[in-house]
Amino acid sequence: MSRMHPSTRWLRRHAAVTVLGLTLLALPPLVHAQDIPPLSERLQLCASCHAMDGNSVIPENPKISGMDAGYLERQMADFKSGVRKSPVMSGIIPLVDGKEFAALAGHFSAQKPGKGVAADPRLVAEGKAIFDEGIVGSAVPACSGCHNEDGSGTEKYPRVAGQHTAYVVQQMLNFKSGERANDSRALMRAVAKRMNEKEIRAVAEYVATLSGSE
Amino acid sequence: MMNKTLACIALTLLLPIHAALADVADERKSPLGYGSKGYVWGTISLEQAEVMKLVPDARRGEEAFRGCRGCHKRDAAGVMDGTYPRLTGQHASVVIKQVTEVRSGLRINPKMDPFASDHAVTPQEIADIANYLSTLETTRENGKGPDNLSVRGKALYLRNRCGICHGDNGEGNADKFYPVVAAQHYGYLLREMVHIKKGTRGNSHPRMVKAIGKFSHADLEAVADYLSRLPDYRRVLAKGK
Ligand code: HEC
Ligand code: HEC
Ligand code: HEC
Ligand code: HEC
Repeated sequence: MSRMHPSTRWLRRHAAVTVLGLTLLALPPLVHAQDIPPLSERLQLCASCHAMDGNSVIPENPKISGMDAGYLERQMADFKSGVRKSPVMSGIIPLVDGKEFAALAGHFSAQKPGKGVAADPRLVAEGKAIFDEGIVGSAVPACSGCHNEDGSGTEKYPRVAGQHTAYVVQQMLNFKSGERANDSRALMRAVAKRMNEKEIRAVAEYVATLSGSE
Repeated sequence: MMNKTLACIALTLLLPIHAALADVADERKSPLGYGSKGYVWGTISLEQAEVMKLVPDARRGEEAFRGCRGCHKRDAAGVMDGTYPRLTGQHASVVIKQVTEVRSGLRINPKMDPFASDHAVTPQEIADIANYLSTLETTRENGKGPDNLSVRGKALYLRNRCGICHGDNGEGNADKFYPVVAAQHYGYLLREMVHIKKGTRGNSHPRMVKAIGKFSHADLEAVADYLSRLPDYRRVLAKGK
């Protein structure tokens, strides 16, 4: 139950960056920082990794369709200020003006989320138990308490339904280590610190199968 | 050598987390609590006073309670084995007292701590949640003892005049911060009485410690079973009227 092999991760990231490079080449020369391009043009940049409808097909790039707009906007602001770090997004966000965040968030929030699949279906049952009931022995609260039974989330607690397993695992590990520390009220760090990698992987597999239609 | 050092580091890293969560650690004594010099039960902290003055709103409380549902469950009825107590119908004053005293370190609750501490929940949210919980009906069945010991339990409850504080129907007393004990999960009732008897629940009432001082473990089991089998006190009181 280890995380992805480093070289695989590197390759996948590298692939994503290559796609980005090609997209950038195809785009008109970069405009001055002050000139804000039309939304449709800016979305090309995001689409290379998150897909135009936000339903990314690359497991490391999160699906951002149907998520709360306020949440998405805050994440962009946190990447920009450096409060949330990411080897990839931290390179992208300087290209985007803070004034664009609301419109970008609005676009992706309005997209219809697609369904996800488990990468390892054998773990789904264990993951469901954790999601619905928590782990009593180590006082892990049930994910459903905050994120809803179907993972649809609320304004305060982001939608997780249908999210890629690899992304969820990575975020949980980042919360656990404290590398991601922008979670409101430090709640996700408290949750993830009580979980081991095996439990994280199992719950992530279940999260991927949720459709979040509540 | 290297291995030993590593093992030591690993141990120091792991210990605080696991020890903090294990039930033994729940028995850590609060340095401020019962048994310490100058301890006076029911001293109202600044935060408790602040929360009690706020105007609560049950609707907001329902929303804020999301952060608690992962353990106390969506219906706030806890879990059958009593790991997580029922909070439905508990007096708002008692909920406020317990949460603010966990925050001040008077009552030690490492499992709940990060989810109820001041960075997680605002004073207004405590007021709102307490109000919301006090209005909730209990519909789900609660955990009972393995054997029906209610005859013996009832006799002990009456003889030791527990009802002076907790009422004849286990209804407690909202004005005096005495908790409802009727229809609570057996496992939780027993655990708390053990803590109170041993003096390890930091916010214990000295008169209660005295009242159960002579109870054997079997006595505690009998009282816990009796209380767990009492109906929701609100139903009893409504019928009496
Ligand atoms: C080169 C690929 C790439 C591009 C281009 C890209 N992203 Fe990302 N994005 C990622 C990755 C990878 C993450 C996950 C970051 C992490 O590891 O924490 C992410 C995370 C995010 C998140 C946080 C999602 C969440 O669930 O918390 C938002 C919001 C986001 N991106 C928006 C955008 C927007 C808007 C654009 C276009 C301006 C964009 N991204 C362009 C790869 C990309
Ligand atoms: C006490 C409430 C609470 C519980 C319980 C909880 N979460 Fe969260 N979760 C949050 C908050 C708050 C955030 C961060 C939102 C923000 O950044 O503002 C979050 C964020 C996340 C994210 C990141 C989403 C993204 O798109 O980057 C994932 C993944 C996640 N939670 C999974 C889980 C899983 C799995 C569980 C159960 C093991 C769980 N959560 C339990 C409150 C909670
Ligand atoms: C991680 C699990 C967890 C979460 C989340 C949690 N609690 Fe608790 N709570 C517990 C445990 C365990 C106990 C029992 C402690 C003991 O045995 O002394 C408890 C006890 C209580 C009590 C005392 C009940 C009594 O009869 O004295 C109150 C009140 C309470 N919780 C309120 C809350 C509120 C309000 C929230 C949300 C802000 C919350 N809890 C979130 C685990 C949790
Ligand atoms: C002087 C009043 C008083 C008397 C007498 C008393 N109690 Fe208590 N009891 C309390 C208070 C107060 C608490 C909660 C401690 C606190 O936070 O202040 C409590 C807590 C409890 C609890 C745990 C409830 C919870 O929700 O955590 C149980 C069970 C209990 N008492 C049973 C008994 C029994 C059985 C007797 C008789 C042998 C008894 N009590 C006598 C005042 C009293």
